[in-house]
Amino acid sequence: MTSTQNIPSVKAEITKPPSKFAFFTRSAGTLWANWKSRLGLIILACFVFVAIFAPLLAPYSATQDGFERNADASAAHWFGTTAAGEDVLSQLIYGSQISVSVGFIAGILSTIVAIVIGLSWGYIKGFGADVINFIVNLFLVIPGLPLMIVIAAYLQNGGLVMIVAVIVITGWAWGARVLRAQTQTLRSRDFVTAARFSGEPAWRIVFKEILPNMTSIIAGGFFGAATSAILAEAGLEFLGLGDSSIVSWGTILYWAQNSNALLTGQWILLFAPGLCIALLALSLTLINFGVDAISNPRLREGKSR
Amino acid sequence: MNPILEVKDLSVVYESNGAVAVQAVDHVSFTLEAGEFVGLVGESGSGKSTLGFAMTRLQKPPARTNGGQINFRGKDIRELDEESLRQQRQGGFAMVLQSGMNALNPVRTIRNHFIDIFKAHGHVEKGRWDSRQVELIEKVGLTRETLARFPGELSGGMRQRVSIALALSLEPQLMVFDEPTTALDVLVQQAIMETIKSLQKSEGFTAVLISHDLGVVLESTQRVLVMHQGRIVEDAPSRDVLENPQDDYTRMLLSHYADPRAEVVELPGFTHRTRPVADDAESAPGATRAARAAQREGRSADSAIVVDGVSKIYPPPRRGEQPVTAVDDVTFTLEPGQSLALVGASGSGKSTIAKLITGVEKPTSGAVTFGDLDVARLGRRQMRELHKNVQMIFQDPYSALNPLHTVEYTLTRPVVNFGGLRGKEARTRVLELLETVGLAPVEQFAAKLPHQLSGGQRQRVVIARALASNPQVLIADEPVSMLDVSLRAGVLALLEDLREQWGVSMLYITHDLLSARLVTDNIMVLNGGKVVERGKTAEVLQHPVDPYTIRLLDAVPNPARARDGVA
Repeated sequence: MTSTQNIPSVKAEITKPPSKFAFFTRSAGTLWANWKSRLGLIILACFVFVAIFAPLLAPYSATQDGFERNADASAAHWFGTTAAGEDVLSQLIYGSQISVSVGFIAGILSTIVAIVIGLSWGYIKGFGADVINFIVNLFLVIPGLPLMIVIAAYLQNGGLVMIVAVIVITGWAWGARVLRAQTQTLRSRDFVTAARFSGEPAWRIVFKEILPNMTSIIAGGFFGAATSAILAEAGLEFLGLGDSSIVSWGTILYWAQNSNALLTGQWILLFAPGLCIALLALSLTLINFGVDAISNPRLREGKSR
Repeated sequence: MNPILEVKDLSVVYESNGAVAVQAVDHVSFTLEAGEFVGLVGESGSGKSTLGFAMTRLQKPPARTNGGQINFRGKDIRELDEESLRQQRQGGFAMVLQSGMNALNPVRTIRNHFIDIFKAHGHVEKGRWDSRQVELIEKVGLTRETLARFPGELSGGMRQRVSIALALSLEPQLMVFDEPTTALDVLVQQAIMETIKSLQKSEGFTAVLISHDLGVVLESTQRVLVMHQGRIVEDAPSRDVLENPQDDYTRMLLSHYADPRAEVVELPGFTHRTRPVADDAESAPGATRAARAAQREGRSADSAIVVDGVSKIYPPPRRGEQPVTAVDDVTFTLEPGQSLALVGASGSGKSTIAKLITGVEKPTSGAVTFGDLDVARLGRRQMRELHKNVQMIFQDPYSALNPLHTVEYTLTRPVVNFGGLRGKEARTRVLELLETVGLAPVEQFAAKLPHQLSGGQRQRVVIARALASNPQVLIADEPVSMLDVSLRAGVLALLEDLREQWGVSMLYITHDLLSARLVTDNIMVLNGGKVVERGKTAEVLQHPVDPYTIRLLDAVPNPARARDGVA
């Protein structure tokens, strides 16, 4: 019996299994090919660079005061100084560390919670699914910001850990819902049934068969979660619910508001951190356009002609 | 001579970002005369659909025409701008798609679909809209009441008829049908082809029928173009193709057709089935097989699957409707080593029976037992025991393999789970399995991902996975219906060999009577969940009694019958 019908000889020569690494290079290539996500990646890279090399880039320490108070922009202080006499540019540079790390850590954690809950929710049937459904709906209908404020006020003085916890608690439900829907479509696919016939236990089916097929949705969910984490972190800090002694873009805004920076004409104190927050969030959203192209090859192609 | 379409030296290329460009259509030239009915045949990947799309200027990126001319009534349509192309759709060329039945807007009635077209082209006066709609819908064999329905209320066949009527409403001179019946049930398929044939005669449009099925095309068209790897390898009147094919590829395609009713059925790779039926009717082969099955190492006694008075009733799909009876009081026994065909059109309940046997669904009444296991009442551990012995071969090899796992991973899992083998031993076993299903060199195939394999190779991997637990029973749910004709025989021959060698019993579920004839000893014909006919496969197919069986047999595409029809 012949067995090698229809294989173009070129294909038969490829014996090396394509590694996981190849998948990432291909995804990265797709991200780079899309101009929106390329722009996003560049912006994000700038922020990460600044955050990592903050001690080298910043002209002064973030907490070093004693300069002239409420100074306007000058050669020594490009963005001026705060009401407490600190250098605004240095604060911005150090502040990026908090925003970037909180954004990524809270984003990763809430994505993990969303994956665990969303996938098991999508896979199981019956009473258990109803219970999870009730809990997730509960988290979805409670307005996010008030809940965050309540929890943050309750867990006072928790610092960054508290902020991350609040963001994760309020931020996982949407992701879980999306992943559950995708799990439900995948679970009826033949290869999942086939895995059951291969004697695979449920957890293996969920995490080894279904999960790898949702990588791009999870990546998209992660960038979405990180975006909202960055915004939420800045929001909570601005409201004074975090630790106001650390330097982050949110606390710069908080102190600027407290010292009526707008009235004294120091608009840059509000504008600069605000723009940074917006740009960082924008970069992640732009990257998501590219992630869409990974999950939907139709978006990858050029325009009709 | 009155050519309506001249294709000269046409090439179409697929260019995706970062991928190697693929020349799907390669310097193709042909001419269509007005009023002709031409078939365009080829297997998957031959470029036939790409050519169809290019002919009607419906190709989308990454496909691009990169050379040649398409002259429609003397004008090159490659040079038309968007607006003149849109106007050209009325009274020019139209296309009916394979998934045309899914191309209807679910929230608009059929009447609204017609009105949209009338408005867009303005070729029918407003006063005549109603009468024109009725006229069109009756032409495709539907009643005027259909106009008030929503697409979701119609069956697949009815929706495909609606999309043909919509294409007709533009009064096209050229209609391209791209696999118009492939997604439909066998019986519906035949009825729709009849409609298309009679419409082509009465309306006088030029028609191109794109299909992978040479049998269907030969039965209905006057001239056939055979495509292979982007080129037209044969262009001849249907009769000549049938009687005197010039190209090897055409000859190969033709060799895969046979009449399941014939006394001797012969396909490439099935020489051992060519003995006269009289021998086949004896019970001897079955008995030796059972004996061989019992001798298999490591197994004391093989068990039969006993399906006893089983019914399955699904709750009504919508409120106020009748519950759906999928399976109605079916009783049969699948003895060890036996191969039984379960045939019927879609909706006859054959796949539901497979689900009941494998424990995926529970019967409403009756019992399914395997040895001392009652399939409807299994705990987790017993379910494992059942799956160790009863394995499934899936219909669609493209969705039955996880696209992200290598062949080796896919095969290792059942070996580890059921065989208890680890590490090197497991790998040896996996390579053995690949060898068994004829995927050599095994080391290379083990490392491949599903997308690097052809459909036939994938189906072999699926079969290897089913064999990994050393099962007693294989449930094959239309294992070849998604494969190209030329690959079918190979997979079927493999199944047959494995059954003989391993002594596995097989439940072969299909609507394709020819393949049932080739690989099974016994047959059961299902209609509406009920068994209407059963017996030895060869006998039932040669002397069918039930009218439903006869209809199924008539629906099998057969080039030989086309010849008789022409003659």
